[in-house]
Amino acid sequence: MEEQVEMVGRAFVEHYYHLFDTDRSSLASLYHQSSMLTFEGQKLQGVDICAKINQLPFDKCHHFISTIDTQPSSFAGGITVFVSGSLRLMCEEHPLRFSQMFHLIPTPQGSFYVQNDIFRLNYG
Amino acid sequence: MDPDALAKAFVEHYYSTFDTNRAGLANLYQESSMLTFEGQKIQGSQNIVNKLTSLPFQQCKHTITTVDCQPSGPAGGMLVLVSGNLQLSGEQHALKFSQMFHLMPTPQGSFYVYNHIFRLNYA
Repeated sequence: MEEQVEMVGRAFVEHYYHLFDTDRSSLASLYHQSSMLTFEGQKLQGVDICAKINQLPFDKCHHFISTIDTQPSSFAGGITVFVSGSLRLMCEEHPLRFSQMFHLIPTPQGSFYVQNDIFRLNYG
Repeated sequence: MDPDALAKAFVEHYYSTFDTNRAGLANLYQESSMLTFEGQKIQGSQNIVNKLTSLPFQQCKHTITTVDCQPSGPAGGMLVLVSGNLQLSGEQHALKFSQMFHLMPTPQGSFYVYNHIFRLNYA
């Protein structure tokens, strides 16, 4: 059971950042109306999340993941995922380090959506 | 109390207890609680407190840089992402860390830590 949570959490995270780095607008399918994002302290909900992500001031980026930790949450079938890594923006010399937390909730179709998402850059 | 104020108050209480009376953290966890500490998975209040009290330093001080929280669902839970610095006594440089808590309400009206994940942030 624990291994399954870990596999699902990892697979989701890798999928999430792959979409972010190659087709940002398609992240919309991973959030619902009830979803919440706190991005560097700014709080967003529902459709505003995708608007925010699409408007971030860079065209291309690449996420490098250093650590992924998962635990089952108290919500039935839910998973909390804690990620740390670095984010390289094209044309920027130095990558940015970040931490991000996801709370994934299962859908009736057997996949997951992001109910909670908190993103913070880690400054040196 | 508004959720942000609640989260901030919990976090300040948690680190103040950690820094002054680590064994006192026991009543912030329950049997079902989970901690992943630098990749090591631990479950249950007793095991978690054993891990935290056996960390290889006597004194430490947490300084919090950011606290973000969101409600996790209808059960009244709160997700909290904290980043900050950890100064170990005798060490010249502070360690940077990030930590995630998922707090669940108790019948008595306070919170306990259900999910807890800790990671150092290396340069």
